[in-house]
Amino acid sequence: MLSLQKIFKWYNNGVNRTFVLKDIHLDVAEGEFISIMGPSGSGKSSLLNVIGMLDEPNEGSYTFMGEDVFKLKEKQRSQLFKTHIGFVFQAYHLIDELTVYENIETPLIYQNIKTSERKSMVADMLDRFQIVGKKDLFPTQLSGGQQQLVGIARALIVKPKLILADEPTGNLNSKQGEEIMNIFKELNNEGVTIIQVTHSEKNAEYGERIVNLLDGRIVMN
Amino acid sequence: MFKNYFKIALRNLERHKAFSVINIAGLAIGIASCLLLFTVVKYELSYDTFQPNYHQIYHVVTQDKFEDGITYNPGVPIPALEAFRNDFPQIITGSLFASYGSQVTVMTKNASTSSDKKFIESTGFFFADPQFFQVFQYQWLAGSPSVLEVPDNTVLTKKLAEKYFGDWKDAVGQFLKLDNKITVKVSGIINDPPGNTDFPLAIITSYKTLKANAQLYAYADSWNSLSSNFEVFMLLPKNVSASNIDARLLSFSKKNYVVRNSVKTSFLQPLSDVHFDKRFPNFGDHITSKATLWTLSLIGLFIIVMACINFINLSTAQAVGRSKEIGIRKVLGSYRRQLFAQIIGETALIVIFSILLAVFISILCLPFIKHITSIHEPLGFFNTESILFLIGLGAAVTLLAGTYPALILSGFRPVLALKNKITSATVGGISIRRSLVVAQFAISQILIIATIVAITQMSFVKNADLGFNQQAVLLFNANGDSIMHSRQQSFKQKLLLLPGVKAVSFNADAPSSDNGWFTNFAFDHRPDEKFQLSLKFADEDYFKTFQLQFLTGKPYDKSDTIKDVVINETLVKQLGLKDPQDAIGKEIRLGGGRWNTIVGVVKDFKTSSLREAIKPTLFCERKEYYGVTSIKLNSSNITKTKAAIESLWNQYFPEYAFTTSFMEDNIKQFYEQEDQLELLYKIFAGIAIFISCLGLYGLVSFMAIQKTKEIGVRKVLGASVKNIIYLFSKEFTILILVGSVIAVPVAYLMMNHWLQNFTFRIKMNVGIFLIAILISVIIAWVAVGYKSIKAAVANPVKSLRSE
Repeated sequence: MLSLQKIFKWYNNGVNRTFVLKDIHLDVAEGEFISIMGPSGSGKSSLLNVIGMLDEPNEGSYTFMGEDVFKLKEKQRSQLFKTHIGFVFQAYHLIDELTVYENIETPLIYQNIKTSERKSMVADMLDRFQIVGKKDLFPTQLSGGQQQLVGIARALIVKPKLILADEPTGNLNSKQGEEIMNIFKELNNEGVTIIQVTHSEKNAEYGERIVNLLDGRIVMN
Repeated sequence: MFKNYFKIALRNLERHKAFSVINIAGLAIGIASCLLLFTVVKYELSYDTFQPNYHQIYHVVTQDKFEDGITYNPGVPIPALEAFRNDFPQIITGSLFASYGSQVTVMTKNASTSSDKKFIESTGFFFADPQFFQVFQYQWLAGSPSVLEVPDNTVLTKKLAEKYFGDWKDAVGQFLKLDNKITVKVSGIINDPPGNTDFPLAIITSYKTLKANAQLYAYADSWNSLSSNFEVFMLLPKNVSASNIDARLLSFSKKNYVVRNSVKTSFLQPLSDVHFDKRFPNFGDHITSKATLWTLSLIGLFIIVMACINFINLSTAQAVGRSKEIGIRKVLGSYRRQLFAQIIGETALIVIFSILLAVFISILCLPFIKHITSIHEPLGFFNTESILFLIGLGAAVTLLAGTYPALILSGFRPVLALKNKITSATVGGISIRRSLVVAQFAISQILIIATIVAITQMSFVKNADLGFNQQAVLLFNANGDSIMHSRQQSFKQKLLLLPGVKAVSFNADAPSSDNGWFTNFAFDHRPDEKFQLSLKFADEDYFKTFQLQFLTGKPYDKSDTIKDVVINETLVKQLGLKDPQDAIGKEIRLGGGRWNTIVGVVKDFKTSSLREAIKPTLFCERKEYYGVTSIKLNSSNITKTKAAIESLWNQYFPEYAFTTSFMEDNIKQFYEQEDQLELLYKIFAGIAIFISCLGLYGLVSFMAIQKTKEIGVRKVLGASVKNIIYLFSKEFTILILVGSVIAVPVAYLMMNHWLQNFTFRIKMNVGIFLIAILISVIIAWVAVGYKSIKAAVANPVKSLRSE
């Protein structure tokens, strides 16, 4: 599904060059569930950002679904990840000014989907995660677990092929975390590719493959 | 998508109530100012544009070139009218002759007796020929221009006809008596001209009647004489250019005008300049120079720019708080231009709210417009131009205020935004925000300086020593005719018997006046002097009534015609005499008349407003021009004395209306436009300060939030409240001082230019500028003070715990 080759990313710090990612090679097949692990500052989130096309490396090549990402124009790239990738964040990153319903709806707006269609899609999603009763609440009125559910619902609404999750359970208690991980597992069984960053060995177990990072390098794959 | 944007915009407004209020209030005040100023400027620019031939009508004016300068006159010599018609047969030439303060008496049905309905028509009393109404078009409700072919026919406006006869339909065929002498028949009614005209027609009588009563209206049918009361207008055919006629008028002037000590030339002034060219007085109540209109527009621009700056500053400051939303939206697939559109849309929403509020404010303010302009008509802005202006202004403000914040916000890198790594320091460069604050303070300081200069100059003007005593001098006007003159002496004797009356003088004009009577003259049997002499016709008690001081000599003795004369100090100097004493006993000749002896020299007094230099002036007797009665009153019991004078007047002059004014009020009227400008500066300097303080307050409250942690840490480290307040005020104080570096030279140039309007003017000293800077620093401190004190006294434990 995607392939990273010789990815380097660094910051210039005066005369020194600090490497965030060093010579990363990673191939991910469709339907995989991968966990990226490593200590703080090892480059996990940076790697996820590169995969999610939120950030560009300084060197290397990236193929996503047969397209050479760095050769695409800004607009095409945006189109590619808009339709295929969903993000889930540790801090949920819901828009505080919007209700649950509107938060889930927002990605569809950016895909120019008609109002009537949006309505039914959001309604399905609310049903699926059993949060219909919460649709008019604002994020601050929800518990952390509920917020993350909304975050996942929002990621799934565009029917992505790939979900990128940056410590999705990091801010949750273990029971809530378990629920979320079970949802990911379910999704994976339905055929969605999942890449998650995690600190927790237990959560990593949900994945089929673990990628270990240390100082920007893959040490164990 | 719009619904979503709209919703989030509304919620944002609600969530940040304080910022929304500041933004909407600031913009609304700015927009309201612009709307009101636009309404005024539009009205001033609309003068006489309702005339269908507006662009083809020209006013023939005359310049008089002396060795030491040029004087301008809106009139032409009276014989020129016929000569124009002969020389330019393809052009329709119309004329208008004004008489100010004429009396109109309504006659009973058969024209035999006068009723008690007497009116003094201070303006609007004209003589005209039918051609005038070919050049200028009015709606005729009854009759037609041709009625003015017939002598003693008159035409009224609907309004005046209603004033005289109740219903204009009853007016036609009725009789009026003009100035107690001429009986005229109402033969036509025109619809009232709109208020935006410099031709405030009210009663128009046949030109032939004027000719028959030349003496009464000082109608001098001579190439020698030039009066601003007689004006000529040409309707140029479309294929004739003004420059062509100007060239022909040049040779016309050479051929016809008498050259004595000056060269007169007539030329065309387009009708579109009549309301704006200060060189030529018009028949209307004011002239507004284009410079004034530019000043008004500039002030409007200043105010709206300041309001936009507020908006930009607050939005970029707030941007940090919105970085997360922007980041998420980008991650969810928003293009930059979609975010840009969203933020511009939010700005537009705020602007729309502001416009609604602005319209409301403007409606409340509209009745007060008359205090800052010379417009006395009620104005409105529910018309196409004003609505288009508002739409255009709204769009401009949205772009001006919204573009920069939208660029900044939509340009956030999503990764940074989500990691909360965007701080105020990284948002659009603090230096841009600082420069905007500097610009705001520069603008408000310019307005503060302008206000101080205007106030100082006007108080200088009002408290200036005029050289005569203006206090408690009652003036009344009537067109002096022989009947009146025959009763004047015994009237005067009776007046002097009243206990409150100190002195009485009959004259043609007050010492300080906008009117003028000028002549060429010769001194001491030399050839004619190269400059004009201003004449004041007055009786022997004039000097006593106005308390003019004699440097040497004495007033002349009573006489009905010119005999001895008194001159002023300026004339002595301009004649090259070292000592006023040298002038005594010398002879002077006015125009082509007899030689008269100088018997006195008065100390200089202000012959007109302080805008103009003191004119060389001569006083002499000339009874037939005495239309003004001036009475020096005892300052106590003025009301009682006035009542006694009125009953005496009615006893002596029952057929003349009694209208009075005080000299002091007349002098105040000289400065009506300056007073308005002063008030205007005061108001808009106030608004400018208010808007910049709103912005400052917003910025400081934002800074206080931003710096909560810094303040907490500093306090834990031992900083006192004073240190913290210093931290806040230091930056703003520096910004204000930088602003003043810009404001001072700009304001100096601007106000220096304005002061050039006055011959007698103040000097702008350093003090004025220091006061302005001090005022803005103090005001800024007050605006910043509350928030910074609140931030400074906050418990550091609280602010640090939340981190």
